Amino acid sequence: MHLVVEMLRSSVLAATPVLLAGLGGTYTYYANVFNIAMEGMMLIGAFTAVAGSYLAGSWVVGMLAGMAGGLVAALVFAVFAVYLKTDEFVTGTAINMLGLGGTTYALRQMFRVKGAFMSPRIQAIPRIRIPLIGTLPGIGPVLSGHPFLVYVTLALAILIEWHIFRTRYGLRLRASGEDPRAVDSVGVSSDRIRAQAILISGALCGLAGVYLSLGYVTLFAENMSNGRGWIALAVIILTRGRPLGLLTMSLVFGFFDGLGLSLQSTKIPPQFTQMVPYIATIAALYLYSREKRQAPSAPTGPTGSSEQAGQ
Amino acid sequence: MDDHFIEMRSLIKVYPPDTLALDQVDLTIKEGEIHSLIGENGAGKSTLMKVLYGMISASSGEISFRGRRVRYASPREAVAAGIGMVHQEFMLVPSYTIYENVILGAEPVGRLGALRNADARRRVQSLVDRYGLSLNIDDRVCDTSVGAQQKVEILKLLYRDVDVLIMDEPTAVLTPQETGELFRRLRDLNAAGKTIIFISHKLDEVLELSDTITVMRRGRRVATWENRGLGKADLARAMVGRDVVFSVDKPPAYCGDVVFEARDLSYVDAGGRRRLDGVSFEVRRGEIVGIAGVEGNGQLELVQLITGLGPIQSGQVKICGRDVTRVPVIERRKLMCYVPQDRKASGSAQNMSLADNAVMTHHRLNPRLESRWKALLSPARCRRFAQNLVETFGVLTPNVDTPISSLSGGNQQKVVVGREFLFSADFVLLDQPTRGVDVGSVEFIQREIIRKRDSAGDVTADVGAGEGAVAAGAGCLLISADLDELFSLADRILVMHRGQVVADLVPRDTTREEVGEYMLGVRESQSERRPRAQAASASALGPAGEGACVK
Amino acid sequence: MSKNALTALAGIGVALLAGLVILWAQGYPAVPSYAALFSYSLFSKFAIVSTLNKATPLILTGLSAAVGFGSNCVNLGQPGQFLIGAMAVAAFGIVCDLPAPVMIPLAIMVALAAGALWAGIAAGLRRRFNMDEFITTLMLNFIADYFTLYLISGPMWDRATYSPMTKATNPGSWLPMWDGLSAAFVVSCVAFVVTWVIWDRSKLGYEWRVMGQNSVFSRVGGCNNEANFTRAMLLSGALAGLAGGMMVMGGMQHRFVKGMGANYAWDGVMIAIVAANGMVPTGLYALFFAAIQTGAMGMELETAVPSEFALVLQAIIVLFVVASRESTRLLINRLAANLRARAAAGAEQDISKGGGRDASGR
Repeated sequence: MHLVVEMLRSSVLAATPVLLAGLGGTYTYYANVFNIAMEGMMLIGAFTAVAGSYLAGSWVVGMLAGMAGGLVAALVFAVFAVYLKTDEFVTGTAINMLGLGGTTYALRQMFRVKGAFMSPRIQAIPRIRIPLIGTLPGIGPVLSGHPFLVYVTLALAILIEWHIFRTRYGLRLRASGEDPRAVDSVGVSSDRIRAQAILISGALCGLAGVYLSLGYVTLFAENMSNGRGWIALAVIILTRGRPLGLLTMSLVFGFFDGLGLSLQSTKIPPQFTQMVPYIATIAALYLYSREKRQAPSAPTGPTGSSEQAGQ
Repeated sequence: MDDHFIEMRSLIKVYPPDTLALDQVDLTIKEGEIHSLIGENGAGKSTLMKVLYGMISASSGEISFRGRRVRYASPREAVAAGIGMVHQEFMLVPSYTIYENVILGAEPVGRLGALRNADARRRVQSLVDRYGLSLNIDDRVCDTSVGAQQKVEILKLLYRDVDVLIMDEPTAVLTPQETGELFRRLRDLNAAGKTIIFISHKLDEVLELSDTITVMRRGRRVATWENRGLGKADLARAMVGRDVVFSVDKPPAYCGDVVFEARDLSYVDAGGRRRLDGVSFEVRRGEIVGIAGVEGNGQLELVQLITGLGPIQSGQVKICGRDVTRVPVIERRKLMCYVPQDRKASGSAQNMSLADNAVMTHHRLNPRLESRWKALLSPARCRRFAQNLVETFGVLTPNVDTPISSLSGGNQQKVVVGREFLFSADFVLLDQPTRGVDVGSVEFIQREIIRKRDSAGDVTADVGAGEGAVAAGAGCLLISADLDELFSLADRILVMHRGQVVADLVPRDTTREEVGEYMLGVRESQSERRPRAQAASASALGPAGEGACVK
Repeated sequence: MSKNALTALAGIGVALLAGLVILWAQGYPAVPSYAALFSYSLFSKFAIVSTLNKATPLILTGLSAAVGFGSNCVNLGQPGQFLIGAMAVAAFGIVCDLPAPVMIPLAIMVALAAGALWAGIAAGLRRRFNMDEFITTLMLNFIADYFTLYLISGPMWDRATYSPMTKATNPGSWLPMWDGLSAAFVVSCVAFVVTWVIWDRSKLGYEWRVMGQNSVFSRVGGCNNEANFTRAMLLSGALAGLAGGMMVMGGMQHRFVKGMGANYAWDGVMIAIVAANGMVPTGLYALFFAAIQTGAMGMELETAVPSEFALVLQAIIVLFVVASRESTRLLINRLAANLRARAAAGAEQDISKGGGRDASGR
């Protein structure tokens, strides 16, 4: 019983950063931007969050700094990819490298450490006990007592579902992804919509970084995003960007991540348990591809799309 | 009524880097008229209207609308001022409903940017009813016909209350019957007070519809006439700058043995829709068989099955007597030339050099491109090969190392056609070979096609393998959306509708209207028609008759 | 070609300038730092040898990425293929003990095969199940990472050491050194020439290049895209595996050490990107990046700028070079158009005979 509760609890914790980054990536997914910069934006956010929290001694500042970090990275991405027409894949890779190299450099430059930086002066994000549910046996420990970003994220998932499918911005966003010329022709700049989508995703990836470095743990380590940005990208592709689908799928990944952690108490070597989420991603992709092949094809492509190689 | 409703003065537009698209154009449009702009592809008609519509900015010149000087920075401003444009390529979001497409960019919103659909839906529906557009506004655009999509574009503008409607080549994608329907709707709109600017290169349509006609040629306005007592010849002379003969000069066909045979081809796509349904026909040496049809009626699938890009589910394809039903693409390419539909999407690699584009497929089939080791290509020989292509087909290019994207559309198409015609194969598959190409190149390519029909090996005489010197011509299968092209080139026209060949007609004995009726499915394919069609095709086999036409 | 080189140089110039500004803004002596950067990478025999040694894995991972991306295979699995290649060579070197002339070629084969195998998994998943190789290769990186970590901290751990690493390989697999220059550099040069011939001269390479530019065109032209995809993936993986193998066979340690080859694989990805997947530019950029990384060590000694600055500088160079490639073309075209419009407005009469073609230079 205790083990089950612990596993569910840790899957909620582990799902949150993937979900946050994924929600950001939803915007770029619908804007048809190949956003592989999420990993880098997340890492930069994690670093600036720690720096902000450490320097100001306040988690609020840390959180804002984390979002700002992601936003700045996204701004660079938007300027290059949207306005200078640089290839999205190339720009995204460069941002990732900038994130990896830049945080490692800044870690040494600002804090004179290699590897990881922790300090009691870094203020973490407060945890919240939910009044009623928190006292319930079973559910209480699973849902209550998490960093409050967890609850913000859950609310965001619903809010973003509404934003993308029920509002003017959502209508224009999805249209720009599908046919930018159609949007331009009615006098709305699809470039601007795409840039906005990138910025939103940057802020949310930054927030995911904040959660990593001030919520999940309270420290910054080199490359601490550890592929979560890429898993988020995979999750987006698997759920075709539906925010509520993302919510479910992230929980599944959180579960596997948590499963890995729980298995560490067993005899299985820890390196194998740590592989679990990545193997799960490949497995999910397999199931997705199989389903896609069996389902009737989309009304757009007439024939021949399935046997097309090399993208 | 305002006689100087829209005035354009000395407009100049240069497309980067140095294409002069508009050259000091002046034009006046009266309020409430139907004003046609006519000219050949690339004459500057669309560019002129896009400048008015704020879609592209003029390099210099000025525009006034309702007596006020204007310069719209974006289509949005133009639409707000009352000028709307329906583009040649539709600007619709395929997966959205008609209603969503109509409101996109002018959405009714409530608090927090949430959509408020109730009133807007009522308005859109009432516009549909008032102008008799007969659309179901909840249909997704991708499920509707081309004609309906065009109406959606018009509906978009009506929803935005425009007074001026610019229609850019609206009939290019329509059948004759749909065109008639469109003209009725345009006249209704005109009667309701809308000014209509109609861009076209088809003389009959312009003469039928318009009050005033402006002719453009090479970026300049040549003439503006009231449509009274004008004839086709007047317009054509102004358009081209010389007298025009209304047909391609073509010797009669001499047919030989069968070079291509499709038997009972059927294809069901992944969504379970039957795209091809028992298609059978043959092509003989020395004839051009045209395929007409509204796009999406199986032509794409037919091409994919013939070329081997899609798997043949049932039926059989034979080229030059060889059954190629289960044979990979490269094996088929030994037997056929194939000019694909879209040179950018499938006929070339735009970032690569002309030479790299020229040797495709030849690199596998022509041993003279190899260097000492068979696995390697010789760059010098490849360049020489490309140089020969450039000379034979009159491609305008500084050298063969320039990226093909820097060539004009016509020259790119010449490279593609040239590459394919340098194969000495006896069967030629041409999928929209002159789409989006300037007039000069169209003429050149059409002449080459006829030459190929009459002698398959001619152009390959000095390159390629020696067996190219076969005296008899090739059999050509020509798929085209342009009925004029089919009528001028083809010796037989097959009409496809819903994946079936519904008619087999001889251009001489039929009319565009009859072909249109088959294309739309108004006329059913009837078994009692078959004998007549076959008799007709037999009569097309040339003066000497079928048995004796092998040369 | 020279125009491309010029824009690339301009991009590098702007990027170096941006790096200078960053250093200056952080209060470092910017110009002396740059002086140290280049004197420690280029201006002595030792410096050049260090740079060439550093360039060895970068050339190979760069080629790997260039072959992949240039053929439209989004192989982002260089890190994993690198590790697997290195591990395979380490295992081979520990288990087998043969004389060098036999063992070195065999070890090279092992490295190539191991990298190709790891990339082959992703290629197979793509071909059999249509799974995006972009995600599978990324995930396989993590799996390779944890798998090798398991081996060096478990079954293959050298108990004589404190940190996770394998035992040293047998000397038969060690590559010779000449004056500090490892023979690994020669191996990478040979690999470069072979890859260049395949890529730029062979029929296969032609088909890959076309597939990279427009896969529909190559398919229509009769190329077997499916088979070519697999072949390009395998070569790409083999090159990354070889890079890993060189780290074990060359160098000083001759064993698989934790955290080995940290960023080489990702650097290769960046090199291929700035080089626009061309083979010769890939080689040149690999040398350039190697110089930056080598020089950064010297910079740290001289002016106390953390050597990680090299990572920042590389990313900036990528961004600026790639952006300058695109935007200079757009800018030049726009300028030309403006000139032409002015000419058209000025010369009112004599245009009619020329149309648009006379001034275009064609």
